[in-house]
Amino acid sequence: MLNDQAMSVVFDGSPLKAMQSHSHTAQAALSAQELSQEIKSFISGVDTVQGRKLSVREHARCAVRLLRSVPACRGAVLEHLRGVYDEHVSAFLHNLETEGNASSGVSSNLEDIIQEVHGVLSEFIRLNPRAWAPLVSTWAVDLLGQLSSKHAGRRVAPHSSSLNELLQLWMSCAATRSLMEAYSQCLAAMLAWCPDACVDALLDTSVQHSPHFDWVVAHIGSAFPGTIISRVLACGLKDFCSHGAKDQGLLVMGVDKGNRVPKIGSVVGILGHLAAHHSDSIRKELLRMFQESLSPSSPLSPTSSSTSWESSPQLRRAAVPFLLQLTAMSPNLFGAVSAELVELLRPPVLLQLQALLQGLPREELDNILGLAVHLISQSPSGGARVLRFLADTATPASVIISGPTPSPHEGVREGCDRLLQMLLLHLHKLVFNRSDGAEANAHHSAPSQPQRVIPFLEELQSHVGQLCAETLRLERKRHLWLHQLLCLLSVYRGPSIATEALCQLLTQARNPEELALAWQLHTTLSSCMAGLIPAAVARCVAQIHTHTLGPRQLRQLLLNLAAAIQSQDEERRGAAGAQSSMAIQVGSAVSGHLHDFGPLLLHGDPAVSHAAVRLLSCSPLPRTSSPAHLLLLSRAAVTYFFLALRRRGEAGKVGRDGGQAAEAVNCSVLLLSRFAAYSPLTLKAVLQQLVEGALHKGNADLFGGQIADMSGAPVLSPSVSPDLGASLLDINCRFGTTVNFSGSVWSVFHAGVIGKGLKVRGVAQLPDPSGVIQNIQTLLAVIVQCCSSSGLNGSINGSRSLSDPDEPLPINAEAAKVVAVTLVENVCPDVANGELSWPPEEHARTTVERDIHIRRCFEAHPVLFPLLQVVAAGRPALCYCSAVLRGLLATLLAHWEASREVSSTDSPWHLQASCLLVSCMGEGQLLPPVLANVHEAFRHLTPFEVRLLLLAVWEYVRGNAPMPQKFVFSSEKGLFCRDFSRDGDVARYVAPIHSVLHKNIDRLGHLCWRFQL
Amino acid sequence: MGDIRQSLLPRDVLSAAKELLYHLDIYICNLVQSGRQPPQVDSKTLELVEEFILHAPKDRNTPARRMSALQELQLLEIMCSCFQEQSRDTVRQLMFSALFNLQGNQADESRMALLGKLVSMAIAVGRVPILECAATWLQRTHRVYCVRLAQVLVDDYCSMVPGSVPTLQNIHSASPRFCCQFITAVTTLYDLTSEELTPPLELLQMIVSWIQDDPRLVLITFLNTPLSGSQPISSLDVTPLGGLVRWCIKAPLVYRKDKKQALMNGSEESEPEAGPLFSALHLSVLQVFMLLPNILNEKGLYGRLALLQMESLAALTSDLSRLLDQADKHTHTSSADTHALSQLALDRLAQALQVAMASGALLCSREDLRAICSRLPHNNLLQLVLSGPVMYYNNIHTPPLAFSPHAAHSPIASHPTLPTHPTIPTHPTIPTHPTLPTHPAHTPHTPLATHPSSHPQYSAQPFMTGMPFPFRPSH
Repeated sequence: MLNDQAMSVVFDGSPLKAMQSHSHTAQAALSAQELSQEIKSFISGVDTVQGRKLSVREHARCAVRLLRSVPACRGAVLEHLRGVYDEHVSAFLHNLETEGNASSGVSSNLEDIIQEVHGVLSEFIRLNPRAWAPLVSTWAVDLLGQLSSKHAGRRVAPHSSSLNELLQLWMSCAATRSLMEAYSQCLAAMLAWCPDACVDALLDTSVQHSPHFDWVVAHIGSAFPGTIISRVLACGLKDFCSHGAKDQGLLVMGVDKGNRVPKIGSVVGILGHLAAHHSDSIRKELLRMFQESLSPSSPLSPTSSSTSWESSPQLRRAAVPFLLQLTAMSPNLFGAVSAELVELLRPPVLLQLQALLQGLPREELDNILGLAVHLISQSPSGGARVLRFLADTATPASVIISGPTPSPHEGVREGCDRLLQMLLLHLHKLVFNRSDGAEANAHHSAPSQPQRVIPFLEELQSHVGQLCAETLRLERKRHLWLHQLLCLLSVYRGPSIATEALCQLLTQARNPEELALAWQLHTTLSSCMAGLIPAAVARCVAQIHTHTLGPRQLRQLLLNLAAAIQSQDEERRGAAGAQSSMAIQVGSAVSGHLHDFGPLLLHGDPAVSHAAVRLLSCSPLPRTSSPAHLLLLSRAAVTYFFLALRRRGEAGKVGRDGGQAAEAVNCSVLLLSRFAAYSPLTLKAVLQQLVEGALHKGNADLFGGQIADMSGAPVLSPSVSPDLGASLLDINCRFGTTVNFSGSVWSVFHAGVIGKGLKVRGVAQLPDPSGVIQNIQTLLAVIVQCCSSSGLNGSINGSRSLSDPDEPLPINAEAAKVVAVTLVENVCPDVANGELSWPPEEHARTTVERDIHIRRCFEAHPVLFPLLQVVAAGRPALCYCSAVLRGLLATLLAHWEASREVSSTDSPWHLQASCLLVSCMGEGQLLPPVLANVHEAFRHLTPFEVRLLLLAVWEYVRGNAPMPQKFVFSSEKGLFCRDFSRDGDVARYVAPIHSVLHKNIDRLGHLCWRFQL
Repeated sequence: MGDIRQSLLPRDVLSAAKELLYHLDIYICNLVQSGRQPPQVDSKTLELVEEFILHAPKDRNTPARRMSALQELQLLEIMCSCFQEQSRDTVRQLMFSALFNLQGNQADESRMALLGKLVSMAIAVGRVPILECAATWLQRTHRVYCVRLAQVLVDDYCSMVPGSVPTLQNIHSASPRFCCQFITAVTTLYDLTSEELTPPLELLQMIVSWIQDDPRLVLITFLNTPLSGSQPISSLDVTPLGGLVRWCIKAPLVYRKDKKQALMNGSEESEPEAGPLFSALHLSVLQVFMLLPNILNEKGLYGRLALLQMESLAALTSDLSRLLDQADKHTHTSSADTHALSQLALDRLAQALQVAMASGALLCSREDLRAICSRLPHNNLLQLVLSGPVMYYNNIHTPPLAFSPHAAHSPIASHPTLPTHPTIPTHPTIPTHPTLPTHPAHTPHTPLATHPSSHPQYSAQPFMTGMPFPFRPSH
């Protein structure tokens, strides 16, 4: 009877094709008698024919046969099969535990029987789902629950919290997999006509065997997401509600005790598992739950069935706390919801929410708020949006409307206000308790363990810029909140964020009040963070380098820095506060980056360069700096100086921004003077560049100069000068030579081409003489400032003392020498005969051309004389100008000799030049006072007499060469002085003077005393 | 017998039940032997049964003990052999009643559950005594519970376990009495009012084949029961005739609907059509009616016992008119088809009425019939039946047909006598009907002609031979 033919098993085609050779017809062979025997065998477990005990396998086969033929045995067979499944699971787990070295035969034997059973069941379900699906689903779910609970404690079984591992384990076991498949099949069939029943059964079992059963629900849920998710949620809500009502303490304790609710843990586990693949539907479902719970209850709503949670007011009230609790327990779910939740919170929803929450007792409300705060602080994304939402709602745009009756939004606003404050408090605690936690960790775990992460702040760090911008708007409470948040963020993330925030504030602040926020931030943070300001400044510099800032921002940043440094000065005057140290820090930080700010002086935007000069002029100079940087800086500063002068002139013309342009000039003067005082190197560089710049053709017009050509003559614009058809190039080509016959006949083109008459001289049109004078004044002031040896001490107040004539500053000899040398190099590039001592006057004709060039230079650049005067003041520097003086004097002599005018006043420029020259030489002590005073008489004399006097000067200088070594430093005056008594007798040279005096005694009587020896 | 309770209490569920059965057997044997009339099982014993076999909670304090499904199966097995081994019918009957007669208490639910399993199992393993007892139970019990038992059996054999229909089919040979009661219960259960209450096709096939094989099957209960007038109230009808007539008449309209739905669902029906089955059934039912006059006469009940109740007919006609209304309303496309089906239903009604009246199964006046059928749409045959002269079949001298032993299982053999049958005189009225020749849609019997091979014995319908339908030979 137990032969193979009797073992008729028909499969629905899937698992065991090999067994299909057994024919279905074998069943027909079972007569009533045989069936009766079969039942007896099944009941007793003994083969009634052969009288031996049935093996598990045979017994199971027998059961399957009965299942196929005797309907009344159904219950008993299914019950028996429970044992078979259980046995298989035991064997399977045992096999795993013993690493598969034993009893593999048993498990494989049972595996095929399980597949047989599965085949039969699934065939039945397929043929008649209505009859079998409820039956089998109940059986399968119950058995699954029983199996998972029973074997949960096994060694190989993973902990119930790790759903995925559980799922993997159970799905690799044939018995549980088969049950799962059978259940899925039933569910798929039953969904058509009674989805509620089958899911409820599932969840009931889930509750009974929770949490070991969660893997089943999770698996089924991923197969039928739409059905399962909403029901799991509803189920959890009901449970939550009943527990919440029973145990108020649970809710009060909030998050930490959440695991005490048995079902919510399961719900979280299941949904968490589903979230991997169905986060979208879960999100929709959660949000739907939220909305449904808020929308006014409509008992006759067509969408909700009478059994669903929507119809119960109590459940609706509990939905929001439940959702909060749920999301608090699962980051996955929270992540799914948080992104869209804020979008949902429109004013009407908020009102509903408020109405809902108002009904709650105070304690519970606090609880919910606490939970919400916790959630926000844990939110990994969307934090910025939440923050903006809260702030917007807490401080609505129109605040004036709140009259005697509070507007309906008042409650909502207060709620948000409170929430925000609680959030800040919470974050505060988190941030400042972190270090304690880290210490505690250090005791019993690796010290390198990262600190507790606060996702909200993590996310906000990328929005520091926006936060700063919002803070700077200085809107009532909002900026206080945000400022506090910035502090927390900075403390949380350490110097990098703090630096960033400070840098942003420095860049974005537009007035002192706003800038004060930066200092407040720094004051808060300085206690726990060192080197913040240098880092912030370095970061600003980096921004400058990467050109991420627009001109306006750049300007603002520079001005803010300057203001910061200047506040230091004010502090110094007043009471030294906490800010002063900060201002000093800013100053020193900026000074370290001067070379980075330097190039900004030449920024295309005048505002930026103005701001840069403001900053540079007030920033202290670094203690040490590389020469390259210094040179670059000095070049930039000087260039800016001329730019500023030009702008001042233009502004004066147009009539606007005069004050600012003047202020820019002042700043640049200050900068230059301070810079020059910094070191000999910078002094030299500055002076050299100042002089060069003043004579440069681009700047010459500032000082009333004209652009001179190579020969020193002013160049005409091509349109003005007629084309004479003569070209030096042509001539040079014609002679096949490029030799420069400088000083020879070939180069004498300055007067014109032979045969064409004199060259047309350009009419020198001096723009705005007052401007020129002002510019020259400024230039001189700068140079004097630079040259004055007062140095660092007086640099701060230098601009004041410039305009004060009562405090003449001694000119530094070295500085003057620099000016002198530079001047000579520029005026007289031809170094031939450049020695200091003078030849006899007759030899001057060898240097006629160079002399003419020099004279023309002086003609073109009126600023040269004042410069000479400066040089003269810095004795003995004028000696180095010897060549220039000689050349000029030679041309003047030639002029006066050739002049046929009645009075010297008929050649005004030459008269002036002669006077200035002689007075300079006198000032520079190249001439003794007797000779130096002769210029006072010039304008009363005839040209010839002037020549006589000048000749005397020449003779003297030739006799007493202008050597610097003739000067000795007199410490009482602080100056170099020349002792003329050591030189030859002056009387020899005074004779012509006395002759001229005699000749014109009627007019020069009052000057006689000036020429006494 | 109540004193054994204390000894049963400590036992486990199964052995307690076994022991109780054992004691019950002895107790009932003693009861019968004592000759007390009527033998009555006392209430103490019934309580013991409820406590230890049906596991109804004795009182609220003691939790109900429950048997596992395996234990229950063992118990069923024991019961089966117990009934099988008991040779005396009376003892068996008494025992069955003690176990399963409804007491109107909360134990009835488990009683019904156990009974369903027992009968189902008895069918599977062929325990005739149990089936006989069950047949009696079906006669005495309120029809609601009978219907439930039938439902369990139909579920078990026709829907749950595929391929088990033949097992159920066997009850025809095992216990005709049970089979007859089963048919009655099933026809009561499936009144074709809704989709759930439409018999599964397997069941229909089975019943049709049973009745075709032996039309007298439906009368077995009637024949074997002494009509003492002690028929319990609300029990099943004595014969399934009323239910079968209802099936045949409503089927064209109900099944057409199903078919339409199936077509809309797009599923291709590979199962045999229900239509021909109902046609065959209708014929068989008419044949059974034809058997009745002799039987009634023999029992002396002719004209005194209505096997078809007027009330059920009234319910049937109102159902029918409702169905026809629905068919008219919901039909948009195949109105011709609908019309044909409606006419088929009405034709069957007319035929059943006519034959039932003629055979004495229906006792009423033509006035009553007209009242019942007033709301039905026009049908020629029905019109004829309602208006024609009543030709009561009162020839009591006609030799009995159905009672001849050789004819019991072969109705064909008895049919040659039909031409001389006195129902023939009713036929002359048919040709005189003016509309009859123009009656092409009226083909209620045509489906029969399409199955000549499956039902060869009906190819020469004696009932039809006398009818000069001009179109008949062409089929």
